[in-house]
Amino acid sequence: MNAKKQINEAAAYKPYSWQTVLEFRAMWVVLALGIVLPFLVSKPLATEIMIYALFALAFNLLLGHTGMISFGHAGYLGVGSYAGAMVVFYGGVGVWVSLLAAMAGGALVAVIVALLAVKRKGAYFAMISLAIAQMLYFLALSPFKRWTEGEDSLKLPPLSVDFPIHLNLSDQMQLYYFVFVIVALAVLAQWRLLNSPFGHALKGIRENEDRIRACGFNITRIKFLSIIYSGLFSGLAGGLLAIYLGAASVTTLFWMTSGVVVMQTVLGGTHTFMGPFIGTMVFLYLRNNISNYTDRWEMWVGAMFMALILLFPEGLWGTVMQKIGERRRPSAS
Amino acid sequence: MELSWEIILMQVIMGLALGAIYVLLASGLSIIFGLLDVLNFAHGTFYMLGAYATFVAISLCGNFWVGIIAAVIIVSLIGALFEMTLLKRLYGTDQIYPLLMCFGLSIFLPDIIKMIFGLVGKVVDYPSLLQGATFVDNLILPKYRIFLVVLMAVVLLALYLFMKKTSIGMIIRAATRDRLMVNCLGINVSRVWTVGFMLGVGLAALAGAVAAPMVQTIPNMGDEMTIEAFVVVVIGGLGSLGGAALGGLILGQVVSFVSLLAPDWSNVSIFLTMALILVLRPRGLFGEEGRD
Repeated sequence: MNAKKQINEAAAYKPYSWQTVLEFRAMWVVLALGIVLPFLVSKPLATEIMIYALFALAFNLLLGHTGMISFGHAGYLGVGSYAGAMVVFYGGVGVWVSLLAAMAGGALVAVIVALLAVKRKGAYFAMISLAIAQMLYFLALSPFKRWTEGEDSLKLPPLSVDFPIHLNLSDQMQLYYFVFVIVALAVLAQWRLLNSPFGHALKGIRENEDRIRACGFNITRIKFLSIIYSGLFSGLAGGLLAIYLGAASVTTLFWMTSGVVVMQTVLGGTHTFMGPFIGTMVFLYLRNNISNYTDRWEMWVGAMFMALILLFPEGLWGTVMQKIGERRRPSAS
Repeated sequence: MELSWEIILMQVIMGLALGAIYVLLASGLSIIFGLLDVLNFAHGTFYMLGAYATFVAISLCGNFWVGIIAAVIIVSLIGALFEMTLLKRLYGTDQIYPLLMCFGLSIFLPDIIKMIFGLVGKVVDYPSLLQGATFVDNLILPKYRIFLVVLMAVVLLALYLFMKKTSIGMIIRAATRDRLMVNCLGINVSRVWTVGFMLGVGLAALAGAVAAPMVQTIPNMGDEMTIEAFVVVVIGGLGSLGGAALGGLILGQVVSFVSLLAPDWSNVSIFLTMALILVLRPRGLFGEEGRD
């Protein structure tokens, strides 16, 4: 009798909340959608969606999961992009090394930002991260023009991969699946990261920093690591971007890149895992289609963004999750 | 290059004039942040609106001074409208939502201006009174730059007196410290916020209006200025008027001298100065303890 009760209790014990289960399923649905995406939209758009979705997820590691407002993610993406392109351009190395270099580049910028601003909160962190990214933009634009080619952008030769299978990255389809596999692996890695004890500590910092400190966690160290993880994944996205564009361009470092990733993330929902991915898909799809009808894209996106903040601050996926939560609540035990 | 003392003095004056623009801009940003806890991402956008409003007002009435005053009033009213209709609904939520609302406005408005005025820059002439330069010995003193420095000093003094001596200023300072207590005293804090936002936006518009003759008036002229205003308040300490003033003047000198000695580095120097200050004094020059 007692044993049966124990078994029942064990069966009733749910290690994961319904949100986690839902997000986990959503992740697989979106990744499955990724397999057929180049047949639904154009191949370049599909590739762009994957790269920027990875970037948005990396960005949300700070904004949504740790609660730090970063407005300088262009710095991580752009330096990642340049690092990846430069080792190919000047060093003649292969694609895999280039991606590693891109991650290192993103992480390096993250270390600089973290050293200067890890202890600053809210608006201060936003301003400092934005300023550092803008500094990198101007550095690439003129003092370092000799190496970055400035506004002409650093152009790459056609690339191919030989390991583990041969891929010609000039072919749009092969490029897409190359990018897709890397992005999917990175998404899974981030899922693993956020559902580890470290990931839960991040959420704790977002919800109540003082309490987490009182629990004995080293807040500064956790935030520092969180910024670096964000930089690593952003740098990887930058490396993929350089391969996709065939060049490292200085516009990647421009502050608008940071602004766009903020909009994509908020559109999908900052307090969710898959929100940024979904937001990026919707954002880039809309941009591609609206710009066919009007050249006033910025006006529309600005107005829609302001309406979104007022009406659906949790974003598209966040609002869906909220509605499901409301429906569940009466029956929840 | 031979650095004679004339050239150095000349650069100092140029730097002071540029610094004056930064000071006006950053003090507005600082007031808004101190009072409303909102990081106004659209600050440069209001600066841009100030320049365009000056252009429109001057082409309507023909007088520079009337143009500047009209511009400040019009842009303050636009700011008040934005605060009352959109921003006010977001107070009390996470700090990021008002920030994002301002960011949305900074994307939206320049495109509207682009639609009305086109991409080509508009020219605002120097007022006839302040054209050219005066000469003292070998020194060339551009009149307009001198005017900017004087204007900044007057505005700062007026702002100081307004904050310290008038009852509205006292209420604003009190609301910056403790909005709940001020509310309990029977003062309509919501209206104080609107006034504070108008004041901050008005300063940005004034900066844009007086900068208009010196710079190219284009729809995206404000974007860079938002970021530079952020740098000024990070250097000076957010929420401190004295900090905004000192930070703006320092940055003006840095830009002025670096663009003389190493033009390539002039844009970068702004941010390097910020990084240096952050390493030496993380709170900024006049930053308050515990406010970050």
